[in-house]
Amino acid sequence: MYEKEFEFILNYARDIVDDIEILLFEESSFSTRIHSQEIEAFNYSDTKGIGIRILKNGKVGIAYTEKFDEDSFQLIVNEAIENSELIENDDEVIFENYPDVDTDLQFYSSQLDEIKVEDKIEFTKNMEKFCRAADDRIINVPYSMMGNGKYFVKIANSKGLSKEEMQNIAYAYVGCLAADKEDKRMAFEFQIGRDFSKFDSHKLAEKSAEKSIELLGGKDIKTGKYPIVLNNEMMATILSTFSGIFSAKSVQEGKSLLSGKLQQKIANKNISIVDDALHPEGSGSRSFDREGYPSQRTVLIDKGVLKTYLHNTVTARKDKTKSTGNAVRNYKSSLSIATTNFYLEPGNISRKELFNQHPQIVEIVSLQGMHSGANPISGDFSLSGEGYLWEKGERKYSLKQFTISGNFLELLNNVETIADDFLFNISSFGASSVLIKELAISSS
Amino acid sequence: MIKTELIEKVIEKALSNGADFAELFVENTYNSLISFNDNKTQQNIAGKDFGAGVRVFYGHTAIYAITNDLSERSLLEAANAVSKAGKGNTKTTLIDLRRHNFSDKHPIIIPNIEVSKKEKIDFIRRINNASRNYDPCISQVDINMIEKMQHVLIANSEGLLANDKRNYSRIYVSSIASSGKEKQTGTEGPGRMAGYEFFNTIDPEELGRKTAAVASLMLKSEYAPSGKLPVVIDNGFGGVIFHEACGHSLETTSVAKGASVFADKLGKQIANPIVTAIDDGTIPNEWGSENIDDEGTPTQKTVLIEKGILKSFMVDKLGGLKMGLKPTGSGRRQSYKFAPTSRMRNTYIAAGKHKLEDLISSVDYGLYAKKMGGGSVLPGTGNFNFAVSEGYIIRKGKVAEPVRGATLIGNGADALFKISMVADNLAMSQGMCGSISGSVPTNVGQPAIKIDELIVGGRK
Repeated sequence: MYEKEFEFILNYARDIVDDIEILLFEESSFSTRIHSQEIEAFNYSDTKGIGIRILKNGKVGIAYTEKFDEDSFQLIVNEAIENSELIENDDEVIFENYPDVDTDLQFYSSQLDEIKVEDKIEFTKNMEKFCRAADDRIINVPYSMMGNGKYFVKIANSKGLSKEEMQNIAYAYVGCLAADKEDKRMAFEFQIGRDFSKFDSHKLAEKSAEKSIELLGGKDIKTGKYPIVLNNEMMATILSTFSGIFSAKSVQEGKSLLSGKLQQKIANKNISIVDDALHPEGSGSRSFDREGYPSQRTVLIDKGVLKTYLHNTVTARKDKTKSTGNAVRNYKSSLSIATTNFYLEPGNISRKELFNQHPQIVEIVSLQGMHSGANPISGDFSLSGEGYLWEKGERKYSLKQFTISGNFLELLNNVETIADDFLFNISSFGASSVLIKELAISSS
Repeated sequence: MIKTELIEKVIEKALSNGADFAELFVENTYNSLISFNDNKTQQNIAGKDFGAGVRVFYGHTAIYAITNDLSERSLLEAANAVSKAGKGNTKTTLIDLRRHNFSDKHPIIIPNIEVSKKEKIDFIRRINNASRNYDPCISQVDINMIEKMQHVLIANSEGLLANDKRNYSRIYVSSIASSGKEKQTGTEGPGRMAGYEFFNTIDPEELGRKTAAVASLMLKSEYAPSGKLPVVIDNGFGGVIFHEACGHSLETTSVAKGASVFADKLGKQIANPIVTAIDDGTIPNEWGSENIDDEGTPTQKTVLIEKGILKSFMVDKLGGLKMGLKPTGSGRRQSYKFAPTSRMRNTYIAAGKHKLEDLISSVDYGLYAKKMGGGSVLPGTGNFNFAVSEGYIIRKGKVAEPVRGATLIGNGADALFKISMVADNLAMSQGMCGSISGSVPTNVGQPAIKIDELIVGGRK
């Protein structure tokens, strides 16, 4: 697809730039939201765009267009040249032709594209219905939604690279509001995957209903430091919030806590953190990154020791190492670095066992305020939380909304035990429940 | 942007299966971003976003389709898709589009594209240098200059045909202070719905120093205390508390489906009588202003709370339809990629009669939150959180030592009653607010207020 467009741009640019890279995205998606058994929203989208990076006199220029005609293609090449003239960054950028990765992974299911709209609506209506049916205390289901999307990415450069990939995925998301006389709580549940027949509206509904109802009737807890269990979802949330510190770009710009810490012990020895772009269960898998570099599995922390940062070819060249295949950009943006499937390696004891290790433990099952209360540069966090008090291995009661505060690197050093209940969240960050020596809880 | 004849065709097509209402939104936006970091211009990106969205209502169901291919074929395809997604009984009539001309309340004096990139980069460099020269602990300065010129065309089956242009200028500065062991940040992000003339009102050196001062101060500060404390929240971005604790829960987005703690409170006391709160989309050139909203309704000044009594929600077309209320010009969206929904514009607590000093001196031991970060809320429960980015301890009625950032939490239904003093120093600050119709520019604002108790999430 789009051979003609790519050829036109390559030919037009050939004599006026030193090198060029072309990136195309074509995306289509559907989503629907149900409330009170009525369709509240029903969205179709269909977009495409081409972004180019050019090299001229050692500088990079970028430009993009969503209009696909010859005038626009010529315009972006000239715009990119003009933009390059103001860039002062002199990092060496080289376009290359990279090999393909050898993988059996399937990123596309034609079956998924054929699911009828009526079936998707039915599914979403069922999620809401089953939530309400689960318990009288479910007074509202503010979020019952599902969607599916498909994208096609194609990347080529003047060094002969030409790669393309088609991916699709579906997701469902439900959030229940539970209330009793004194308390109101919300809880969410999601499912993501390529096999719609595995989507279970009943299970999603029951789980989110159960999660919100169990939180009702929160009691106060005394402000102070407590041993903490972050459940698997919340540990994944914490990892996603601070994953940016592993970016070699942040390190090189002096914005990461991990500057100068390669080969040093930065976490407890039970901690291993991996980014794996070829993980069979992760929704972040793909066969090449946005420079066309082949995907790989990268161990970032091995038994507590920081082994590498996440690289694209530009940061790698600067550090005299190899790219880890974590280049990211869309057709509008410049080159950066991002995680793919980023996870904490699971432990081998059951989640239940964690709670036997201290007489009193606070379990965190919900965190809010990640974008404001967590500072990825300092590593400090102070977040709004919900959860339970456990005593002697037994869950005693739900707690009123509280705050939980600490620092990400201190947290990694204070992980005492990791359970085996591993899961990937909706953004492909994975973790199991972890027991942390202590964090500060503030409440009334 | 597109011919009236084609607009009519698209709307008629969208109505052809008996829909009650059809709307076409077309957008042509020029975006420019200059990113500066490490003493160098790192990125200089400009581009055009060009696309359209077609929306229909069948009863209370909204159906929306977007495309960024504005050919007749593609627009009619989108119109066909939305019409086919429902079935209604409203008879299609030929529509007669009448162009609505609105007086432009938000003039642009210097179009951003007429200013050279060199001048812009020189301006950025002055901010950078002032920050770095402030203190040797400043290890990095990130600066982004964001300029956006959005042209919209909105037409609907009620005969509306309207255009608007929104021009945004913003400079975002983040200074990082580093002690070798630790890092702290100080940020400022002033912006206006205006042209380049806005940047000419900013003193770049002062802006650079301001961010550096906070970063270096926080590096030398202790952690915030924890527990339930009285809090004095200063003006400007402090208004994020009202935005999170109450604002989102007054949007029909959550109210219409009963997923708001204020859903049944119209006409009732929901705040201390000293609290009057307003959402105003008409203030000339303010960050959250517009001539018309993204559904073509003229924006207005909406009094939300008057002396503690809930007076109005923020209403978009669909929300109004569901609740039997008139739209308040609050239907907004990030771009054609999103269907509109009710959103805040410039939201603020009105000035009171006290002085900031009166608020401080009334506290024996508490927190003075001079500068706030962002926050969030679950409207269904009313539980909100927001972050303090520059704080101080108040001891015996005086501002004492600085403390590091901490999150403050509370419940909207409860916190509004605990606002016990309102000062006279009203100011607004700029933010980007996220919701189901994307990220839109909104102002938060307030004079300094005293809240008798909030939970402070420190580490001590």
